[in-house]
Amino acid sequence: MAEKPELRCDGQDLKRMLATATAWLEKHAVAINALNVFPVPDGDTGTNMLLTMQAALEEIGNTPQGSLGSVAQAAAYGALMGARGNSGVILSQLLRGIANSLDKKRSFGPFEFARAMTEASTMAYKGIIRPVEGTMLTVSKDAAKAAMAAAQEEEDLLTVLEKTVEAAKESVARTPTLLDVLREAGVVDAGGQGLFIILDGVLHCLKGESIEMKEPTEMVPAELPEEAEMEWGYCTEFILQGKGLNLAEVREKIASFGDSALAVGDERVIKVHVHTFDPGQVLSYASSLGVLSNIKIDNMQEQHREFLVLGEEAAKAAAEEMEGIATVAVAWGDGLTRVFESLGVKSVVPGGQTMNPSTQELLEAVETLPAKEVIILPNNENIFLAAEQAQKLSSKKVVVVPTTTIPQGIGALLAFDKEADLKTNAKNIEKAIAAVQTVEVTTAVRPAKINGIKIKKGQIIALLNGHLAASGEEIEEVVRETLDKLGADQYEIIALYHGEDTSLQAAESLGDEIRRWYPEQEVECIDGGQPYYHYIISVE
Amino acid sequence: MTEETKLGKIEISPTAIAHLASQAVLQCYGVVGMAARTLHNGLAVLLHPRESYRRGVEVRLVDDQIIIDLYVIIEYGTRVSEVAHNIVQSVKYNVEKALGVPVTQVNVHVQGLRVSKE
Repeated sequence: MAEKPELRCDGQDLKRMLATATAWLEKHAVAINALNVFPVPDGDTGTNMLLTMQAALEEIGNTPQGSLGSVAQAAAYGALMGARGNSGVILSQLLRGIANSLDKKRSFGPFEFARAMTEASTMAYKGIIRPVEGTMLTVSKDAAKAAMAAAQEEEDLLTVLEKTVEAAKESVARTPTLLDVLREAGVVDAGGQGLFIILDGVLHCLKGESIEMKEPTEMVPAELPEEAEMEWGYCTEFILQGKGLNLAEVREKIASFGDSALAVGDERVIKVHVHTFDPGQVLSYASSLGVLSNIKIDNMQEQHREFLVLGEEAAKAAAEEMEGIATVAVAWGDGLTRVFESLGVKSVVPGGQTMNPSTQELLEAVETLPAKEVIILPNNENIFLAAEQAQKLSSKKVVVVPTTTIPQGIGALLAFDKEADLKTNAKNIEKAIAAVQTVEVTTAVRPAKINGIKIKKGQIIALLNGHLAASGEEIEEVVRETLDKLGADQYEIIALYHGEDTSLQAAESLGDEIRRWYPEQEVECIDGGQPYYHYIISVE
Repeated sequence: MTEETKLGKIEISPTAIAHLASQAVLQCYGVVGMAARTLHNGLAVLLHPRESYRRGVEVRLVDDQIIIDLYVIIEYGTRVSEVAHNIVQSVKYNVEKALGVPVTQVNVHVQGLRVSKE
């Protein structure tokens, strides 16, 4: 009795195998697409592989010769021309390796199959300088190894193929342990999964099973490493004291316990830091070498959770902010910026006399604020126009309150009520700023005659609400004249913002003077840091 | 490439961008090397991976837009156009992911093919 005839496949068999594999892949393409994370997350690995296989099949259909060698060549050529995406190019290289191996052969059995798989994998690895493991390439290598091992045990083709498919499946499941991006996403490699499906399809064909009515198989579940359960572990730190400690040895041992291992010191003292899942193990190892001190063990999982909770609260706070009204103010000088910020202005745009912010700058300030409604305080007549432009261009509800001076801006903020709506606020603020008197003290840059007052260049001048009120040689006399003019004794608070060129001492002595002139009023000195103006005085 | 923040300035040099791009290129299937961008006698010189990012990648900033030129060697027998297409996708994605700044252009110059022994 002769031996059972060996199962061998010819060109027509290969054609059927590839056709079945393609049909099988088609059923899984969408599921494979969903796995895609790397390197371009456009989720089309399944589609790309399918299109490449279809191109291979089409080319086989166009080839009149039906020998094994020519079918394999046609598949390789078709795949090459139709390769789509990274996975498609790799697939075409695999088919090229198979074609090279099967060239001029009439049929293949277990050995030829194993050799073709090996050649395919080798060919695929040639196409990249730095192969990353945990991809389709790894799966092809593992499958080829299993095929070769099975063939050497003189198994028949069916068994060899079964073992190959099994190995491919296991390899796919392992991909997340090899590639971080997959582990983070908790999925297996999409290209590897595709290759497994193709091999599985070939197996179905060889078994003579029809796949038309067959339900697609589940995706290979990711075999996630254990850290996934508790990926943060314990942060373990201590100081080890002993005699003749071997730093290199300790460092190596500590590193074997976990991540982020650090051991520094000398033969008497070593500071150890490691992230580990079993701090006890680390401590008992270290205590066998010497004395431990400053032991600190933190649960990083807990820290991570707290961090997440904090993040949520911050997000909630930001969301609440979104509901309210935010303010944008224009000011110049460190001190004034601080004053505005301390009053709750969300965005201070630098600008003022002779330096007007552009509409663009104001608009950006408005748009980037996490609020739906915004109040702009221009604090200078020259900036009204830009502010109104910004109001028109903005997608948010914006109100420009026409504050012409810094003290008016500050007065506006004091009247601002976070709880009230935009309209009410605008009304209240306008009422408040009408009550604020502003005195600005500066040095004349050119001679002039305004409001019947003659000014020489270099003289000190004072503006009351933007109009020239007094001039003179000394700051004190000019300030006094102006304050008298506006009737400062009728008001409650006099606030003095001194400029960048005025010392704190000078400002305080002026403050003392004013207190003597107006003993009933409260006088405040604030560092404004504004340019050009020696003083900005608010009276309200 | 500079960015102003409240605390100071963030500056990313073209060399750093080039390094990022070269890492992405070398992970692309089908790319077996990078070539010096200056071609003498029409000969592409296959660069050692370590010096790739200095010579095989050119990063230009035109009006604050990033333009990347890549000079690559591709494995013979692969679909060159598809590999080049994959390079563009991967470089654009990886550089944008790292920098958060859009990449305007990625140009791939295939300087040569490498034939592996079969």
